[in-house]
Amino acid sequence: MSTLDLTAHPTIKRLLRSRWPQLILQLIALAGFLVALLASWLGTPIGNHNFAIVVVWIAWWALLMLLLVPALGRGWCSVCPLPLAGEWLQRGSLLGPRLDVSGRPRPPLGLGRRWPARLRNIWLQNGTFLLLALFSAVVLTQPSATGLVLTVIILVAVIVSLVFERRAFCRYLCPVGGFIGLYAQAAPLEVRVTDPAICTAHTDKSCYVGSAEGYGCPWDLFPGSLTKNTYCGTCMECLRTCPYDNVAVRLRAPGSDLLNPSGRRLDEAYKAFIMLGGAIAYSAVMLGPWGGLKTAAFEIGSLPWLAYVGGLLAFVLLVLPGSFLLAVVLGRRLARPAPPLMKTFVSLAYAFVPLGLAAWIAFSLSFVLTNLSYLWPVVSDPMGWGWNLLGTAALNWHPYLTSFVPPLQALVLAGGLGWTAVTARRIAEQLGGGLRLAWPTLLVALASTVGVLWLLLG
Amino acid sequence: MKAHSLALLLLGVALGLPLTLLAARGLQSRSGVVEVHARVAETGGWTPETLSAVAGKPLRLRLISDDVVHGFAIGQGQAAPLDVEPGRPVETTLTFSRPGRYVFFCTRWCGPNHWRMRGTIEVSGPEVSPEPASAPLYLTLGLDLDAPHPADLPPAERPSASRGAQVSQSMPATVLPSGNLRSESPAQVWRRLREAPETAAMTDQELWDLVAYTWRSATTTEALVEGRALYASNCAACHGEGGAGDGVMAPSMPAPAGMEIGHAAGSPANFRDSQRMLGASSAILQGKILRGGMGTGMPYWGPIFTEAQTWALVDYLWSRSMDYEEVR
Amino acid sequence: MTVVGNLLASRKRWAAWAVVALAALILAWAPLPSAAYAASARTFRIEARSFAYTPGTLRVNPGDRVTLELVPMDYVHGLYLEGYDLDVKADPGQTARLTFTADRSGTFRFRCSVTCGALHPFMIGKLTVGSGSLWLRAAGLSLLAALAGFLLWRR
Repeated sequence: MSTLDLTAHPTIKRLLRSRWPQLILQLIALAGFLVALLASWLGTPIGNHNFAIVVVWIAWWALLMLLLVPALGRGWCSVCPLPLAGEWLQRGSLLGPRLDVSGRPRPPLGLGRRWPARLRNIWLQNGTFLLLALFSAVVLTQPSATGLVLTVIILVAVIVSLVFERRAFCRYLCPVGGFIGLYAQAAPLEVRVTDPAICTAHTDKSCYVGSAEGYGCPWDLFPGSLTKNTYCGTCMECLRTCPYDNVAVRLRAPGSDLLNPSGRRLDEAYKAFIMLGGAIAYSAVMLGPWGGLKTAAFEIGSLPWLAYVGGLLAFVLLVLPGSFLLAVVLGRRLARPAPPLMKTFVSLAYAFVPLGLAAWIAFSLSFVLTNLSYLWPVVSDPMGWGWNLLGTAALNWHPYLTSFVPPLQALVLAGGLGWTAVTARRIAEQLGGGLRLAWPTLLVALASTVGVLWLLLG
Repeated sequence: MKAHSLALLLLGVALGLPLTLLAARGLQSRSGVVEVHARVAETGGWTPETLSAVAGKPLRLRLISDDVVHGFAIGQGQAAPLDVEPGRPVETTLTFSRPGRYVFFCTRWCGPNHWRMRGTIEVSGPEVSPEPASAPLYLTLGLDLDAPHPADLPPAERPSASRGAQVSQSMPATVLPSGNLRSESPAQVWRRLREAPETAAMTDQELWDLVAYTWRSATTTEALVEGRALYASNCAACHGEGGAGDGVMAPSMPAPAGMEIGHAAGSPANFRDSQRMLGASSAILQGKILRGGMGTGMPYWGPIFTEAQTWALVDYLWSRSMDYEEVR
Repeated sequence: MTVVGNLLASRKRWAAWAVVALAALILAWAPLPSAAYAASARTFRIEARSFAYTPGTLRVNPGDRVTLELVPMDYVHGLYLEGYDLDVKADPGQTARLTFTADRSGTFRFRCSVTCGALHPFMIGKLTVGSGSLWLRAAGLSLLAALAGFLLWRR
């Protein structure tokens, strides 16, 4: 597999190694986050005229889902404002290790505990994402609900940073982190060591432990043996700490990690279905013409809401993975002798990552282009108090590119399914099962695609 | 060291700039502008509901909607309607020349209790001699607004003013109804016409048409147009766009207990029903509009409409049970 | 031998991809047989409540002269029709009418254009002019992509 080493260019390497560009971006994100927080608590309750709702759920979401995740995988994580307060407190610095009198980096602030072994998976993140999904009709439209979510997240992030080591919040709790990591496996960018032999011989392992140049991997990874993007937050610390200049940022064929058989796990497999199921559910509830569904999703605590919760959870956790399980069982019958059931289930599930990403892109295209025009008045009047900072407060809502969105969605979904098909075939071949093992899985993927197409285009 | 200090400075800027929003807010709230929030009546209506002002001094208001489209106006024509869109605060300055109590109200339908969205502005100032107020006609005449008023012999067809115009040409002028007809119902006028010897040769319907023509002649096209506009924005939601009592808000009307009123309990009046309408006088209609429905859900418009507006509305209402060419 | 075999295989591959491309074009643009219809005048009374339209889905034939009557039942609502870029707003008690000729085929969503409460951005209905076959074509294209990926890509 050919890759293009971006850090071979001295300018790029300097830019990535320097802490300043990253800090600037982080500060911009932090300022935006703070405005959103203030707007959510003090601003107008009208969602589409409140900075918090428009910038977080339309602008940032568009940036994330339509650009950053497909192109950079976990790129957002390197500038995300949520862990910053905790991380800066932990590190006692904004710009890199501060040395004590003997020239050694100061120890981190906080208890520095190891994350409990039993929770070293993404099940918690699967849970936090689903929890948000259950309340999404309210969170996405009511500034105070968004404010509550953001406040809770930032408090938890700070507390976790002061109790546990490194970026435990990001790796094990953040609801965004769960899917951004999974989809990073499909991204065309990776951070890897150039020559693993150097790492084997290097006793200090500064990329993990830290040095005067930088911190040990905040994501609790050993870059020397990193082969998958899932948990690498592209923070570039290892670029700074490696004394042998052995870490490179490379462009590669999208989806390379999906074909990497090592580290395939049930929690990630389930995440693939939670995400695909979530995209289907959101397309139905938010973009469909069924008012009853929307009201049910909105009236939290009511009987219709309980039915909505039950239906959503059943679909995402039982129906979709269950159909896939049937497909796996059928595939194993067709492809005798077949690899073990659990291994087949977990491995083939990764084929659903491209489709899930495509479904979220297709959903987001409609959602974002319809509502992007709310961004212009909100930057002039973030709180809805009657200001006009940039002169755009009087601009009216107008959906953009409505004629282009359906064909674009069709292309994205067809492309996603094609990519899923390639991935499914390759994984099946890896497992020794061949095409026959994967045909039923392909059918499930096709059915899901047709479902999303009907919801978005029909 | 310098790098770290610069980084801290930038952090300060990144955190400080958003916090200036708070300072700006503090300035805004001290600027002497009174913020009035609008919510649908069920969740609070106007907040605050009572404002104070001083006669001759400007009162600056910032009107903010917290949910749906509302509007702001002051009754008795003291301030024209101003739309208040959600998320788009609008500022206005009011100056009152006379002290007194003014009523402000919502002008865009915002649920079944939209008409209850009212507040008051207490304007203080040097005592001025009060403007003489005239009692509404129904009080002067001692009419019972809640008594049923059926027309005992309603017309077979809707009375038509244009047909009535032709009938009037073949009638001697002395027989034609004249004078202030506001205290009489069309049925009463028709009865007088029927009993006049000069009209013996005319059919009942022709006489009804004549009544319609009389009613139409007593008003102007401008008044009818204004009445139609007032009806559309204030009455149609309950009384229906055609006046049949089938408006979109009608199903949510409360049914008054044990009260005899001129129409079915829990249902807004049907202005197209000739039997009911033609037995009522303009005075009664004006009275019902001014006083409201005493627990039926019919708002009281006394503080809101000027006398001219009320008569324009009454004139328009007659066009629902009689055919005028200009307003269909 | 293997060189010839490879050449043959690669020509087969090109041929296969050409077939896929052709099939894709046909799926995307070939006209579907449609039932004969006569364009007529249609009127729809659409009740608008926060946060749904009733009826929420409409169907007309291409060429129909369509009138949409927007009847708000609770607050001020709007109706913006995608694809036709038409907008109408109304207050309760003042039905607004939008008349246009359905000369563009497809499925078009209409959305509320006046903030009417929390779920306003999700107040959506849809109008289908003609057979509304875009999603079927897209489904066909997806199937094609799935088969091409499964059977053809880099084997």
